[in-house]
Amino acid sequence: MKNIAVTILVIVIVGIGVLLAVCFQVRDTEAALVTRLGKPQRTITKAGLNVRWPAPIERVHKFDTRMRIYEAAIAETTTKGAIPIIMHTFVIWQVQEPLRFYNAVQTVDQAENKLYSLIQDTQNKVVGRHEFSEFVNSNPENIRFEQIEDEMLQELKAAASQNYGINIKAVGIKQLKVNEDTTRAVFDRMKAERNRKTEAILSEGNAMATAIKSDADTKKQKLLAAVEGRAKAIRGTGDAEAAKYYELLKEDPEFAMFLRETEAIKKALEKRATIVISADSEPFRLLKEMPELEPKK
Amino acid sequence: MTEQNENQNEQIKSQEPRPKTDQAYKFLSDALRASFTLLKIIIVVLLALFLLSGLQTVGPYEKALVLTFGKISGEGEGRVLESGLRWVWPYPIQEIVRIPVEKKINLALDSMWYYERPEDRLPQGSKDRRNFGPTLNPLIDGYCLTRGERQDTGQEQSDYNIVHTKWQLTYQITDPESFFKNAYVDFADIEAGQNYADVIEDNITSMLQAMLADAVVSTLVNYTIDDVLFQQIGSITDHVKRSLQDKLNQIQSGITVVSIQLDNQAPPRQVADAFWASVQAANIKETTIKDAQSYYDKSLNEAGGPVAEELLAATEDKNTDPKHAEQLWPQLAGQAQDVIAKAEAYRTRVVENAKANADYFRSLLPEYRKSPRLVVQKIWQDTVQQVFDEADEKIIIQPTGNKNEVRILVSRDPAIKKQEDEQPQNK
Repeated sequence: MKNIAVTILVIVIVGIGVLLAVCFQVRDTEAALVTRLGKPQRTITKAGLNVRWPAPIERVHKFDTRMRIYEAAIAETTTKGAIPIIMHTFVIWQVQEPLRFYNAVQTVDQAENKLYSLIQDTQNKVVGRHEFSEFVNSNPENIRFEQIEDEMLQELKAAASQNYGINIKAVGIKQLKVNEDTTRAVFDRMKAERNRKTEAILSEGNAMATAIKSDADTKKQKLLAAVEGRAKAIRGTGDAEAAKYYELLKEDPEFAMFLRETEAIKKALEKRATIVISADSEPFRLLKEMPELEPKK
Repeated sequence: MTEQNENQNEQIKSQEPRPKTDQAYKFLSDALRASFTLLKIIIVVLLALFLLSGLQTVGPYEKALVLTFGKISGEGEGRVLESGLRWVWPYPIQEIVRIPVEKKINLALDSMWYYERPEDRLPQGSKDRRNFGPTLNPLIDGYCLTRGERQDTGQEQSDYNIVHTKWQLTYQITDPESFFKNAYVDFADIEAGQNYADVIEDNITSMLQAMLADAVVSTLVNYTIDDVLFQQIGSITDHVKRSLQDKLNQIQSGITVVSIQLDNQAPPRQVADAFWASVQAANIKETTIKDAQSYYDKSLNEAGGPVAEELLAATEDKNTDPKHAEQLWPQLAGQAQDVIAKAEAYRTRVVENAKANADYFRSLLPEYRKSPRLVVQKIWQDTVQQVFDEADEKIIIQPTGNKNEVRILVSRDPAIKKQEDEQPQNK
């Protein structure tokens, strides 16, 4: 009984040992290359459990297939119109074909060395095909920034895949700059432009304010003119209504006029009047002599 | 006989006590039994520990993937495990990968700001503060290019400006499977005190910073410096967010941009004065326009009140319903109201006067017709009397033809005299 247990234990231990020697896992984040006596035998890109001949007959080389970023050094290049431009480019890459990667570069460090040259070369070629005005332009419709990035991506993708078994998933420009001397000229232009803008802002403000004030004055005058017109019309209706009553005076115009004049004179001399009158005038004549009155028969 | 003897001898030998050998054998046997039992216990314990090591916790802000021999297990939604206690076969059969999905992570991007040492932020005139030069060094000073103002000259314009910006990205891992498969995270980098979330954050920071910088650079070339500094900040951050999300989706990163914030933006220090003068000018312009607007409001308000403008428009627009204008006239205020009120008063006065005159005339007319002289004289005398009663000064003079001139001063008001005497002194 004891012997059976020991035997099973030994078999289990040996079995595990054998399994470890002949089995290997490939994760979803990996790809593997199996070499037999140093010669590449097969590549495995699907995750799962795999079998191999034990070492040293077959060896497994695993590659992490997740995305890595590689930032090339900041570098100056020239556009189609020979304008210098400084770019800091990066790529996001991954191992795509383990065999080609193994044959061409083997390690991440070596891959990045190769990518450095490839990026510089591609960058120079692509940027050299485009004018500076395609990177930045007063008219946004003429900007081809994303198209330029896409051209770089396609060229890098083709070259990296073919030469190194690398898939370039994305290319980006982290920094787009001009050289130090150019910044001085840019600042001069910016200052001049800003000063012009400042003047324009002030002039525009004054012009707008003047227009608003003129508009206010014009509208005020128009309104008061309209109001005066309406007032005249109101006064006119008053005069017209009054005229109806004047018709009644036609029965004896002279008497009506006399009454009107008496009213007018009362009104005119109502306040603070100084009257200078001849002593011969009625009724002051009484002061000079007694009137001679006789009863009417 | 000899054989019989030999057998007997052997039997005798075997029946003889062998104290030392038996004891050793017994000890060995006991020891082996004990070791074996111990081994069995150890095996059972190890097996139990091995199985127990498959118990794993998925945190409240995490989701997990189970790898069976390196391959993600499960189908559909079952591929991603929610938080809780989970058991999986221990490594190397299965392993569990936890991804912090709920956590919103902030990431600052300062690479587009000019280089300055902490001392350079000291107030101007400080000993340690270093003044900036007339240029920007592309190796150490960060900035972005923005497009120039569009001018309709019909020519190609490649004018551009320089602007400094600082950004803040908030992101979240929303697709754990894509993130696990595609984003490079090296858990061997884990340091004391760090958890998996920290390692993930550290590992993808440089990639996200680069991609954000790319999104910013490619976005800002489409905007002017005024857009970045003052006018279009909301549109720009939306544009950057869209651009970054597109790029992250393109590489199947499993990351979602929660928000993008433009933390700070400034023109280059070398041209800052000109920019602030421009800002000042904009403020002056605004004040000037506001003053003009106040003048406008005040003028029209004084002229006609709140309805002035509406009334004016109604009177000028021939298509306006005249009834509407008529409704507005009574609502006029200010100067216009005064003019209208005076006109109304005039109308009333004129009509009432005319009516009163007519009534007066008609009331006197019968008497006048009967005795005209008497009536006229009566009215005339009353008039003279009233006029003389109300007059302040009455001077009666003798006609010049008469040698005996008489001047009578009647009821001279002393107050008037006094007032007249004082007036020259006041002047």
